[in-house]
Amino acid sequence: MANEPIVRCIQVSKSFRRGSEEIRVLQALNLEVPEGQFLALMGPSGSGKTTLLNLIAGLDRPTSGTIQVGPDVVSAMSENELARWRTRHVGFVFQFYHLLSVLTAYENVELPLLLLPLSAARRREQVLTALELVGLLDRMHHRPGQLSGGQQQRVGIARAIVTNPTLIVADEPTGDLDARSAEEILNLLGELQASLNKTIIMVTHDPRAAARAQRILHLEKGQLVEDSGLAVAAGGAAAP
Amino acid sequence: MSGYPFYFLVTLGSVIGLAVLALVPFYVLLIAGDILMTRLGDVDPFSRSAKFIGLMFKNLRRNLLRTFLAYLAIFVLVLVVTGVWSILAFLDLVTAEKSRDLKAIVTERWQIPSQMPFAYAYPLSQGAPEKEGDIVIGPDDSMTWQFYGGYTERERDKQTRDNLVFFFAMEPRKVLTMMDGIDELTPEQLRQLAQAVEIMEKDKTAVVIGADRLATLNKRVGETITVYGLNYRGIDLEMKIIGELPKGRWGQIGIMNRDYLNDAIDAYPAKHRGERHPLADRSLNLVWLRVPDTETFKKVANQIMSSSAFTNPAVKCETAASGIGSWLDAYRDLIWGMRWLLSPAILVVMSLVVANAIGISVRERRGEMAILKVLGYQPRQIMLLILGEAVLIGALSGLLSATLCQVFVNELIGGVPFGIAFFPSFKIASAAWWWGLSIGSITALLGSIWPAWTAQRVRVAEVFAKVG
Repeated sequence: MANEPIVRCIQVSKSFRRGSEEIRVLQALNLEVPEGQFLALMGPSGSGKTTLLNLIAGLDRPTSGTIQVGPDVVSAMSENELARWRTRHVGFVFQFYHLLSVLTAYENVELPLLLLPLSAARRREQVLTALELVGLLDRMHHRPGQLSGGQQQRVGIARAIVTNPTLIVADEPTGDLDARSAEEILNLLGELQASLNKTIIMVTHDPRAAARAQRILHLEKGQLVEDSGLAVAAGGAAAP
Repeated sequence: MSGYPFYFLVTLGSVIGLAVLALVPFYVLLIAGDILMTRLGDVDPFSRSAKFIGLMFKNLRRNLLRTFLAYLAIFVLVLVVTGVWSILAFLDLVTAEKSRDLKAIVTERWQIPSQMPFAYAYPLSQGAPEKEGDIVIGPDDSMTWQFYGGYTERERDKQTRDNLVFFFAMEPRKVLTMMDGIDELTPEQLRQLAQAVEIMEKDKTAVVIGADRLATLNKRVGETITVYGLNYRGIDLEMKIIGELPKGRWGQIGIMNRDYLNDAIDAYPAKHRGERHPLADRSLNLVWLRVPDTETFKKVANQIMSSSAFTNPAVKCETAASGIGSWLDAYRDLIWGMRWLLSPAILVVMSLVVANAIGISVRERRGEMAILKVLGYQPRQIMLLILGEAVLIGALSGLLSATLCQVFVNELIGGVPFGIAFFPSFKIASAAWWWGLSIGSITALLGSIWPAWTAQRVRVAEVFAKVG
């Protein structure tokens, strides 16, 4: 039996204004993602996949519709509520890692934990666990500039999982890596999903990366056009 | 090169040199702050705050050139403000009225410099008592000053500032009872001065000269000099240097027995076809009186100013503070400008310097601000981070600037001599360290409000502007 959906997007639309022109990026999109699923979002540039990822992760708010992650209605939260919610429930992995250059790997991973009421010892324990999971304990005192691209991305993943979030979102996590490093990162994401039962939503252009996911969604012009887990009716809900 | 351009270059060079030297402690403080915060980061309950402040220290070390330039700008500006405020505080101090044990000055009423007949000296020294019940000032509580200045070189073309010496001609023993600054002397200096006074009482030609002036004159104690009168043209006096006055406010002056000057004035006609010296009836410049309280001062001032004995020229009696205030009145616009134009202008410039440096830093780090937001940092925490970085650099720069300035001026060079009005040598105010700290912090805080505001308004979706 499929797990309960952890992410629900109901009739989600998002549009931007550019001068007098209104650009409709997402149009009445419906989506359910079960807990523990590794989902890949694909589509051409401008199809709305990163916008959808940002909305699910609480980085932006939809123009209309509802987004729910677990019991929380993300689309109804204020900016401060979203910030607090993100700390506990979402881990981010970026294409360009976005580590703070002045901090060591350890300090970068620790950064989100500083927002939680944890003791220093508990924080240290969680950081070391996360770094161990990504295999970078021996590099924890290195700064980003002293690490390879693959290592930096692993630090980024450790930072994403250190708070034990409900959801991990990854935006082109292998886009800036060579083939070997990309393979390592995808293996790592797969292991996290399998061993920790993490829900992962990954945006990618790379079919080989998408192939590592359990489910692939294709977006075009702001609408879901294909779901590897389900046939998609126009404007209808896509579920596994 | 000489004159003001030279002084300007020397001052500018000293300030920049001091600032560059101060880069070392500044950098050490940045590292020490980081290390301290890292250590505290492992200690509850400070750990999270310490890590956050540690991030500020680390960010300041991100672009050291920009941090150093901002630091140097604040350093120099705080130095100037500290200097200006120290001068203003000093002037406030010397013009502040005392309520007890205050000194009064009697001078000519309508003319600066004051030039009164010496015949005024005795009655004024007593407070001009005329009738029974009037207050009489005791002999230890009064002092007369006559100013005698001249060169140690006879030929005019060799007469320069370096061979000019200026004397207070007075009753020698009054040095020990009435001169300002006597309480600042060490017991040994006081003993030597008392010895010198004793000799000056017996030998009218004996003089004491300040250590700094003696060095400039290239003379030593024991030597005899001839001083060729500057204000008393034609009255040249041979003097024996029997003592050296300490550096500081005493460093540039000389003290001589007034009888020597007055005898010379009296003898002048004999050598000049019976003509009296032009200053013969205007040789008394100032009379000091010490009174126990304000009430006594008012009575004595009334006795003097209502007396018919002092009408040609008329005299005035005022407190020393008020007298100095009147003298400073000539510089009123300059002081007003220092207080209300120069200081605020420097503070505004400091804020702009900080705003520029922090503004550039924020623009460069928009991506980083966005990442912090993504991780869950709230806008106010990002604003706090930027404000904190600015305040750290402002506080450290201000504190170092004022403290080093204080140590340099007060301790290393022993203050800057004023050289006028027997003011003590000018020193940086003892409160300067916290002036520097607060000026640096507050101006940095004000200057960084706008950059911090823009930093906290960074929109994550716009920074990672990809509509994928």
